[in-house]
Amino acid sequence: MLAVTGVSRSFGGVYAVRDVSLSVADGEVCGIIGPNGAGKSTLFNLITGHLTADRGEISFLGHRVDRLAPHRRARLGMSIVFQAARVFRGMTVRENVMVGMHGRTSAGFVSAALRLPRHRHDEREIAAQASSALERVGLSDWADRPADRLPIGQQRALQLARALCARPRLLLLDEPASGLRGQERERLAALVEELRAGGLTILLIEHDVGFVTRLADRLVVLDLGQVIADGPPAEVRADPLVLAAYLGQAS
Amino acid sequence: MIRLVAGALVAAVTLVLPAMLDDSALAVYILLGLAAMVTVGVSLLMGYAGQVSLGQGAFYAIGAYTAALLALSGVPPLAGLIAAPLAAALFALVIGMPLLRLRGHHLAFATLAMQLILLSLAGQLEVTGGDIGLQAIPQFSVGGLEIGSAAAYAYMTWAGLALVMLVTHNVITSRPGRALRALATSETAAASSGIPVGRYKLVVFALSAAFAGLAGGVYCFYTGYVAPGSFPVLISIQYIVMAVVGGLGTIWGAVVGAAAITLLVQGLDQLAYLPGMPSYAPSVLSYAVYALVLIVVVLFLPNGLLPAVADRLPWRRRSAPPAEIR
Repeated sequence: MLAVTGVSRSFGGVYAVRDVSLSVADGEVCGIIGPNGAGKSTLFNLITGHLTADRGEISFLGHRVDRLAPHRRARLGMSIVFQAARVFRGMTVRENVMVGMHGRTSAGFVSAALRLPRHRHDEREIAAQASSALERVGLSDWADRPADRLPIGQQRALQLARALCARPRLLLLDEPASGLRGQERERLAALVEELRAGGLTILLIEHDVGFVTRLADRLVVLDLGQVIADGPPAEVRADPLVLAAYLGQAS
Repeated sequence: MIRLVAGALVAAVTLVLPAMLDDSALAVYILLGLAAMVTVGVSLLMGYAGQVSLGQGAFYAIGAYTAALLALSGVPPLAGLIAAPLAAALFALVIGMPLLRLRGHHLAFATLAMQLILLSLAGQLEVTGGDIGLQAIPQFSVGGLEIGSAAAYAYMTWAGLALVMLVTHNVITSRPGRALRALATSETAAASSGIPVGRYKLVVFALSAAFAGLAGGVYCFYTGYVAPGSFPVLISIQYIVMAVVGGLGTIWGAVVGAAAITLLVQGLDQLAYLPGMPSYAPSVLSYAVYALVLIVVVLFLPNGLLPAVADRLPWRRRSAPPAEIR
């Protein structure tokens, strides 16, 4: 589904990501782990299009996407849950989730200004999908509250609802567990497991190895911008290179 | 229900007022309506979409000059009035492509520079009449029916304002409006939801320019002349002060802000032209007042006049969001 081949990106002569290749198969949950500064976020931004690669190819569902703008990649079926709370201020929880439907509808300024049938049709569709996404993540009771006043756990759930609203083929989660406490983290993990059971392909960056091991079918380990291990979680966790990378950071 | 009653009341007052005011009061009423038209666009651009423009006066001028030039060359006034917002929007689309790559105060300065350049061009070029401007613009007419009275222009202005408010309301409460409000918070997250951020910024810039252009078109027929001096940089600042004072990101706030500032400046003008006041009094007073009002509002009513009043109304109290959500 997603194939990253030989991708590099440097900042001021320093490689953040160097010759990275990885692939994600349909229906797979793939976790990317690595110590701080390993290049996880850079790789994520390269995949979603918020950064462009200096070298290498990225293809998604058979399309070359490495020169496409982020919104075009989103429309092909990539949805992201950001680590930093990126909820839209000044909008309710429901409106935030409705934005997720943007790529699947088409009513523009003229339809909206003149209240044309296209607008009415799309609004009905958007409202219905948003309601069901809110229900799925358990935010229905908060739907009409201002989104930026939600606690961090619910903001993450809100972003997940927004991402699901776009009906993604590939869901990208950037450190979804960071900043969450025990119970919130549990609920999020359960939600991701539910999505996996539903057959959704997920690429997950995570700092917390325990959290990602539980969810992922496969782990890719980055260190200093390069892939140092790739395989089933149990194998990868026993890999001496991986242990060295993590111990090296700890010492 | 309360909204309906309030709406009916406002409609009744706007319909009755032109019949009751004398010509000098009508001039204030018309200029207020035109300022409100531009300010609704500023509120849409700044309050909802998070983009700054210190050059809305330029779009107002483009609308005025377009309608004036067309009317003077014999084109029916109605066609000129329709062309005014279109010309302003087209110009905004062209200039917006490079400008909207800038953000925050860079964008503010760039739009300010755009207005200065346009004004000096209008003052130099022969086709725009140089510093003297264009005069003897024919009265507005539709199909041979001439609109000459100030009261008629007042109705025209406020009908235009109603149209601008309706379009803004419809856009805001819909798919493109949500996209604009989203990109105001985070362009990255908006793009990741499939929103073409650059295109949307361009369209909202053009839409706000169209509102200003329409106001400029009405203005040129009402006053009968346009000159660079009618569109000083101060006018662009004034629209922002109006939008902020009324409450950015509210449609009615733009009207309230335009009314508050217009009436305040009128009062001060009367003070400044009193015998014995120095000749620089009017401009010094109005600059000082914009600054003072802006500072006071930002410090004490950061959401603007309208939201501040609305939140204190007894029937709005219970709908206020809870202080904390568990």
